[in-house]
Formats: sequence, structure tokens, C-alpha cells
Amino acid sequence: MDEITTVFVTESREQLAALEAALLQLESDPEDDDTLNAVFRSAHTIKGGAGVVECDFIVAFTHVVENALDKLRNGEIKLNVDLVALLLACSDHIGNLLGVLEAGTPDPDAELAAEGMALLARLQRDWIDDKPAGGLSRSGPPSPREEPVQSSGGGEVETDCWHISLRFGPDVLRNGMDPLSFLRYLASIGRIVRLETIADAMPDADAMDPEACYLGFEISFASTADKAAIERVFDFVSDDCTLHILPPHSKLADYVSLVLALPEDTMRLGEILVRVGALTQSELEAGLRTQQEPGETADDTIGGAQQTPLGEILVDQQVVQPELVEAAVVKQKQVQDKKVAESRLIRIQADKLDTLIDLVGELVIAGASVHLLAGKSGLGDLVEASSLTSRLVESIRDAALQLRMVQIGETFNRFNRVVRDVSLELGKDIELAISGGDTELDKSMVEKIGDPLMHLVRNAMDHGIEAPDVRVANGKPARGRLELNAYHDSGSIVIEVVDDGGGLKRERIIAKAVERGIIQPGQTLTDSEIYNLIFEAGFSTVEQVSNLSGRGVGMDVVRRNIQSLRGTVDVSSTAGEGSRFAIRLPLTLAIIDGFLVGIGRAAYVIPLDSVVECIELNQGEDVRDYVNLRGEVLPFVRLREMFEVPGAAPPRQNVVVVQYAGLKAGIVVDQLMGEFQTVIKPLGSIFRHIKGIGGSTILGSGEVALILDVQALVKRCAANANQGAERLQIESVTR
Amino acid sequence: MKTIFLVDDSATILLSISNILAKAGYGVEKAGNAAEALKKFQAGVKVDLLITDLNMPGMNGIEFIREVRKLPNYRFMPILFLTTESQQSKKVEAKAAGASGWIVKPASADELLNTIKLVMR
Repeated sequence: MDEITTVFVTESREQLAALEAALLQLESDPEDDDTLNAVFRSAHTIKGGAGVVECDFIVAFTHVVENALDKLRNGEIKLNVDLVALLLACSDHIGNLLGVLEAGTPDPDAELAAEGMALLARLQRDWIDDKPAGGLSRSGPPSPREEPVQSSGGGEVETDCWHISLRFGPDVLRNGMDPLSFLRYLASIGRIVRLETIADAMPDADAMDPEACYLGFEISFASTADKAAIERVFDFVSDDCTLHILPPHSKLADYVSLVLALPEDTMRLGEILVRVGALTQSELEAGLRTQQEPGETADDTIGGAQQTPLGEILVDQQVVQPELVEAAVVKQKQVQDKKVAESRLIRIQADKLDTLIDLVGELVIAGASVHLLAGKSGLGDLVEASSLTSRLVESIRDAALQLRMVQIGETFNRFNRVVRDVSLELGKDIELAISGGDTELDKSMVEKIGDPLMHLVRNAMDHGIEAPDVRVANGKPARGRLELNAYHDSGSIVIEVVDDGGGLKRERIIAKAVERGIIQPGQTLTDSEIYNLIFEAGFSTVEQVSNLSGRGVGMDVVRRNIQSLRGTVDVSSTAGEGSRFAIRLPLTLAIIDGFLVGIGRAAYVIPLDSVVECIELNQGEDVRDYVNLRGEVLPFVRLREMFEVPGAAPPRQNVVVVQYAGLKAGIVVDQLMGEFQTVIKPLGSIFRHIKGIGGSTILGSGEVALILDVQALVKRCAANANQGAERLQIESVTR
Repeated sequence: MKTIFLVDDSATILLSISNILAKAGYGVEKAGNAAEALKKFQAGVKVDLLITDLNMPGMNGIEFIREVRKLPNYRFMPILFLTTESQQSKKVEAKAAGASGWIVKPASADELLNTIKLVMR
């Protein structure tokens, strides 16, 4: 694909998304002109672009869609559910056509073409062809037909030439037009037989404005072009000039009316007409004589013609009523104020950005090494300079990462359509509420989160939300509610899919898990553990696999996808009230602020976002696996034990208190070494199975430090927490 | 070298027209929306012709050229607007706002360049 086509496809996909969103909005508010205009503009931009890349099948299809939208915009047809559905289908079809273009196939295949024809036929038949107008329709288009200058008397004038009377308005030059260029253009569609320049409007030298145009022309023009074509030559100046065109063999009376309508002296004009060859002397005299006989009518003609010039000029002036223009301006202002100023965008290829991020990562590592050496050198100035550099590198890192951040709103908005279509398919009435669409996360994550999210949404609609009659029977509103939320929570981004359906069936999950051998019969589990069983491989509680959520892809795949993004997924549920799926993702995949800790000679990094505080571990306390943190049970893990680091623990140890998903835990380490910018390097596949380690990084000294997986550690601690809590209670009683 | 300022919200149109213009030996300035373009005009960008789309989100083409015409340096600069058959009625309004002429899109390279020659002296 060449560059333009690539740009076109990308742009059109964006436009389609906007079109779809706007259509859905129109469905709830069909009177919103701004949205309607946005819909039209999207279709229009796609058609325009398709014309440029010469993709005829898209032009042809979009053209009809645009026609329908135009009618809609003009109020000739009214929007209803059927039309929205049809337009959405058209939008999908355009998407498919873009796919054809993208694939480089010259034409859509027969099936797609037939689908397109069917859509167009429906659009044409039901909406475009003389659909009886709705209440909003205007009473037919205004008829701007020019009134031919009909006048009695006089025969035809003997000439084969068109006669063109042209008077440029004073503003022609100011508007950047060259009068001569029109004559040149005119000459390109015929032959200028004779031409007279009329400079009668030119005032005395001292009254003359050099920027104003005082020119006029009388032209005898031989051409096979029709009147409209000749008029088109002067399109650009149509409201800046007075134009009269008389066809060959016009009635003498028409010439007379013309002469009277023009601002110059009647006799002088007559002479000019004779000179141009439009009239003979006798024709002129005859004409003027007949015209003068009914004297007062002649006067009327002069006045009338002056005030309302003919043809297009008339139309122009009718349309350009100052009030109308004024109203339009005010309206535009309002629209402008309402819409957030569209931000300026530069398109860059994603891999350029990735290279930048990689380089910034290297810069961070190199910077750390410089900082370390500077510290060792003991040179005060060097330390200071390197600190400044580090600070700047940090800003660059943040700015570079910010480049990749995109709002999740776009991904969320796709679900408006999904929810609409799926609820129709299922015969359920479901509304979608979106919040936190402006939450930003890494672009690579946004791309990968779509599928898992889609699965959860479909699942919630299919299995979560009950059929309307069941809902009503249970005392709930018939209309189901699905929520998509996104928000930041201690260094992670949480995306929630919440439904107000029946909730997960605890007993059925247990039965199924036992049947599948996932748990042992009689095993005691907390509610949360039971609900999260649904993410185990090969788990599905619905016997009848519907065509929606049961596509052979289980919740385990959802979890795997999310885990591959270093994220987690959790479910909580209340019987009869609904379920809440929470996806928790790290802010970024590349560089984080870390907290460097040491055990023996090894260094580890704890993501700084999850660190709450650090406390000292008093010697008496380290016999248990928990401490009393201001009355709270804080279970902890000893990294030294966990990672089997050789050597004895130093007399003073520290506890780093970390938090994840609302749970707190302590990590016992030897030394606290402070903040450290951490470039995340993935671990090789042989280390994947190790619990508690999320990646590695390179220190300024060139050594490798492991990044702790706080989530895994917290989970491990939380497992012991209940036990700990009981013991702490007993302890406080016995004290 | 004559410079042409091109404003259109469609990246496809921007790219294709600027390619044509550059090939014909014009310098090209581009902007993706009216507000951005207006800033450049207010900063005094040196151009010989402005070609702008009519229907743009945010500030539309008519409002835009009205603003451009208010700037003293651009009172006589020719302005062409890009239009389609479906926007014919807008011509009058655009002319009133100060446009010199229009190009019906999609226009062939020849049509485009001829129209430009017509309005540029």
C-alpha cells in the first residue's frame, strides 16, 4: 500500500469509529444537529479520501450513504431505530471495504459486493427515493430559477454569438481575483469574437481607489457551451459582478431590457452593442423605440433590474441575507465553544516510539552508572552535575512514557455498539454506563486489553444479566445495567466490568470444580477463592454453549491474556445483585520507579508505587510471620528465607510495607537502598515459573537486580493473614 | 517560489493535495484544523494562496476565512475552498466571508492546478 492509502485507511477507521459513536448518540437524541453534522462529516471525509486514493467501490457506496445523511441533515427524513440500524450496517460495510482496500484486492468479492448492493438498495428504496417527508421537512427547495426577461415586441436578433455583459464589482481585486483571468478562462470554452472594455464606472482621478475595480466588458462570444457552462466561468465572482448572458438569436426585446438594466448610459451602451456586433444599428433603434413607447414600464424595468439583478446573482442575494449570516456565525460560535478544541496531533509510527523508549531505558541505566561513579569519585561538583542529569533523565523518561499513553475511552466506546447489538440478539434490555474513559494507559496494553474485555462484557450480558421477565420477577428493573469503569489505584490501573445480574452461582461453581477435579470435595474455600475458580482452565458452568460467550475460549484465556500484561483479574459477586470483574494492570510495561533493597550481597527492586512505608523489625518480633502495625496485623515474608539467600540475617532488619489491591503485607530485607529508576527487562522463559519475581533490571554498577512481584508476595502473605489475625487477638488478650 | 497554505481535517486530502502542489513546484504549508492554521496566520506566515476545507470540526471553514480576512496582511490573499457537490449552497456564504473561489473535490491534479493559476497572479 502506498503512503496515501495507508493514511486513508487509518483515517477512515477513525472516522468510522466516530460515525458509529455519533449514530448511537443520535439514537438517544435524534434532534442533536451537532452530532448529525458530525455523522455527515465522517461519511463525507471517508468519501473524499476514497476519491483521492481512487478507490471507486468505497466512493460509490459512501456516496449513497452520504445522500441519505444529507437528507437527514436537511430534515427531509427523520431518524428512527431502523435507519440507525441500517446506517450502522453501512458503517460496518465501509469497514469491510476498507479491509478489501487494505488487502490490496482490486474489488470486493461477490459476497461483499452483494451485501453492499443490498444495503444500498434498502437505503435507496426506504429513505432516499421520495420518502414522504417528516414534520421537519421544508416545503420543497426554494426555486432559484431565473425569470427570463420576457417582453413583447421585436423579432430575433441576427447573430450566432452569445452576448455577455459583465460588470465587475469594486471588491473583485480586493478579493484576490484577476478580472483578466476570467476572460482567459472564458476563451478556453469558446471564442471571444469581439470585446469592448467599459470603463465608464471609473471616477475622477482623485476619487479613484486604486484597490477597487471599475471594469466592465461587453463580449460577443462564439461557443457551443450552454448557458450554465458560461455562467460557471464567472462562478468565483458571481456575487461580485453583474452578469447578463444572452443566448444567440435572442429576442430584440431582451437586448433592450439588458441595455436598460445596465448602469451605463443607454445610448452609449447601445453603441457598444453595435460595435461588439451584437446588434445592428437599425435593430438598436427599433428596439429602443418599442421600449420607449410604454414609457413608465421602462422606468420600472430600470429600477427593478437594478435592485434585483438576474439569474444567480438574484439567488445569491436572496441567500446572503445579513440576518442569516449573522445567525450562522452565532451558531458556529456556540458549537465551537461547546466542543473541546481539537488538539493538534502528529502521527508517528509506533515502532519509532518503541525505539525511543528503549533508548531512554538505556539512558537511564547509563545515567545510573554515571551517578554511581560520581558518588565514588568524591568530587562535589561532579556529583551535583550528575544529580542534575539524573533529574533531567527522569523527566525525559516520564515524557517519553507519556507519549505512549492513550485514553481508554476509545476502547470503551466500542462497547456501546457491542452492548447494543448483543442485547438485541439476546432479547435483553441492557444499558451501558462508562466511567473513567479519560484514564490513560500504555498503548500496547490498550490494544491487548480489548479481547479480554470483550469476553468479559459478552459474558456479563449473556450469563450475568437475566432475561427481563426474570429480572422483574426478582423485583429488579427490567433494564439491565452494565458498567465499564477505569481508575488509578496505587500504581495500577483498574478496569472493571460490573453487571447487576444474578451474580455467580457459588454452589454450581463448587460442583463443577469438583467434577473437573480442580478442587477436592469437602475442601473449604473462601467465597473469593470459589468465585475465582472460574478462571481455572477448562471451566464453564453453562451447559448450553451459546454463540456469544461460549466460543471455546474460557475465562482461563482471559486470565492468561491479562497476566501476559503483568496484570491480574479478580471477580467478586453477590448473589442476586451482580458481579464485578476487576482487571488490574501496571501503568507501564517499560520503566518504573523502583525501591532498591538489599539482602546479603544481592539487590532487589520493589515497585515504588506499591511501597507504603518502611519500618524497623525489632529483634523480638522476628520469630513470628507478622507484626503489629499500629494495631493492624501485618503479615510479612522474609526474602532471605524465600530466596534461600545464604548467610545469617543482620541484627537490624527492615520491613518494607507494600500494598496491593487493598491488601497490605511486609517484606523483610536487610538494607534499604533508596529509590531507583528501573528499566524492566523481561526474565528468560526458564525463570517464568518462579513465584515472586516479575522481571530484572540492570543497576548502575552493571549488576543485575531482580524485580519483586509484589502481587504474588502479597497473596502469599494474605493466605496466612487470617491465622495471624487470630493469633494477634489472643496475644492482645493475654498481654 | 509561491507558497500555498492548505487546511483540511482529512489527513488523506492534506497528503494528496500537498503532493500535487509540491510536484507542481509550490511550497506547501499545512494545518489539520482551522484553529491551528489561524495561529500560523496570526504569527504572519508568508503564503500566496490559502486553500481550506469548508466542513471541519471545531471552527468551520467559513468562520475561519472570515477571521483570516480580518488580519491586515491577508486581506488580498486569494482564498480557495474545497467543497463538494453536497455543499454547493455554502458557496455563497463562503464568498461573503471572503473566499475567492472553490475547488470541487475530489479534483484531478489538472483541475486543481488550473484553478490555482486562475486566482494566483
